[in-house]
Amino acid sequence: MKPARMLRLASTGFLCAIFLAGLFAGGITHYSYATQFRELPNAAPSASHFFGTDGLGRDLFARVIYGTRVSLLLAPAAALLSTLIAGVLGAFAGLAGGWCEKAVLAAADLGMALPLLFVLLALRAFLPLDLDPILSVVATFVLLGFLGWPSSLRVVWAASRDLRNSEFILLAKATGCPPLRILLRHILPNLRPVLFAQFWIAIPVYVLTEATLSMLGLGVMEPLPSWGNLLRGLEDFSVVSANPWRTCPLILLILVVISFQLILPRQEEIA
Amino acid sequence: MPTMKHRIQRIAMRVLMLVFLSLLGGLLTATLVRFAPGYGVDERELDSRLSQASVESIRKANQARSGILSYYAHFLARAGHGDLGNSQWLDRPIASLIQERFPVTLRSVLFGTLLAWLVALAASVAAASFQSFALEISGTLLSGALIALPTAVVAMFAVYLGAPVCVAIAVVLFPKLFRYLRNLLAHANAQPYVLAAEARGIRRTRILSHHLFPFLSPALFALLGVSLSMAFGAAIPMEALCDSPGIGQLAWQAALNRDLPLIITLTFLVTLVTVGANLLSTTGDRRAI
Repeated sequence: MKPARMLRLASTGFLCAIFLAGLFAGGITHYSYATQFRELPNAAPSASHFFGTDGLGRDLFARVIYGTRVSLLLAPAAALLSTLIAGVLGAFAGLAGGWCEKAVLAAADLGMALPLLFVLLALRAFLPLDLDPILSVVATFVLLGFLGWPSSLRVVWAASRDLRNSEFILLAKATGCPPLRILLRHILPNLRPVLFAQFWIAIPVYVLTEATLSMLGLGVMEPLPSWGNLLRGLEDFSVVSANPWRTCPLILLILVVISFQLILPRQEEIA
Repeated sequence: MPTMKHRIQRIAMRVLMLVFLSLLGGLLTATLVRFAPGYGVDERELDSRLSQASVESIRKANQARSGILSYYAHFLARAGHGDLGNSQWLDRPIASLIQERFPVTLRSVLFGTLLAWLVALAASVAAASFQSFALEISGTLLSGALIALPTAVVAMFAVYLGAPVCVAIAVVLFPKLFRYLRNLLAHANAQPYVLAAEARGIRRTRILSHHLFPFLSPALFALLGVSLSMAFGAAIPMEALCDSPGIGQLAWQAALNRDLPLIITLTFLVTLVTVGANLLSTTGDRRAI
């Protein structure tokens, strides 16, 4: 087996394991992410606390596993939302052509010129700061999904424009195939690999953006854990140097994003 | 080759596009500020020394600008005179805050972008020219590890190491630029005329300057515009965590204090700068105009 294929398989296996761990977090750890062991703040890793505890005495392993659930379930949801928007608008622009195409592309260009973090901060500032933790998770990822479509749109648009001029579409039109059938039976199946690749590309981007937003205190709210707000524990260097196990969420985040990077070229190749 | 008249027309179109985007962005800004929570609340109404008639007159004056278009016209007129409104949180004119802080961010962004470009270009040219496996692998591993770090974590490491903000911005930009430039150069290296030039024994530096870079110039100019936008985005966590008094830190503090007029004006300003940089970068490419 080629080394690149082995790496891809290992990455896929690792991502599946992490994803399942997040999904069945309650079965893996018997602690809640919010339970405090007040007599054990900043405890070292042990048999009862695999990654030790944080400054408030909460089990870090439980928080990482529950944080995985938040980050790895909602980032794909946000990626799905942005890919859907890009798919609908990109396919429409590519197939319609003319002024519709120009208007959609101008909107995408403007969207790409907007600095994402500035816009996210501006929109997040519209919501109350003491937002319910669950709502803060939903708001963060919905905002990411709604703002992340412009870069995917360009790719979908280019693919659908090529399809518009392809021979089999011209043939379908010439034989009197209705537009809806052309869209559903001919265009969408051909756009599927492109959309799938865009979906995979967006996931690590949203995981990283959520981490940055949460580190700035504008993402997922405590006590609900996410990889981003777990990284806030690293801000104090003296605490990190005294308790190096506090870097576990960062290491996990880096491994997950690198795993996504390793499987992405294959997706791009398929697309 | 396009004629001079054609080029002037294209440049004029781009300037018009910038003006149109500015007006559209201004309308969006004004709309968001108009609908922001707390808009129209005038503290003078609570002053017990004012008579009922005075309070009514203040309310009427505020109501006169409550429609979006009238508010926008008023907003444009004020902006034309350099008045961008007041920050609710700092109770200071937004224009003076921007004047104070924008140069700090601009310096960090420009130096950071320049540094990232220099390192990424040097690394990708070296990887493409020497075609060494070790160089390729080390570049891929370094960029892969750096790309997996959230921007805020890079900022945190910058604080630990005492590195300036521009270096941290360069660290964020480098992996993305390196990967893109390396792929572009690999694609350009495979062009038949480059292979022919190599076969004729033309020096590598000449191939780069006379064949590769002119071929890549549209993509490089486009990437320059995108990298500026990325650098401005990276400036927020960098300045917030490194305590650098730029507009990134101001935007973060404005978001935490829910100072909507300030953060929306800052977003609009940064958008204008990046749209302007994008237009300039495509105008700078002779083949694009």
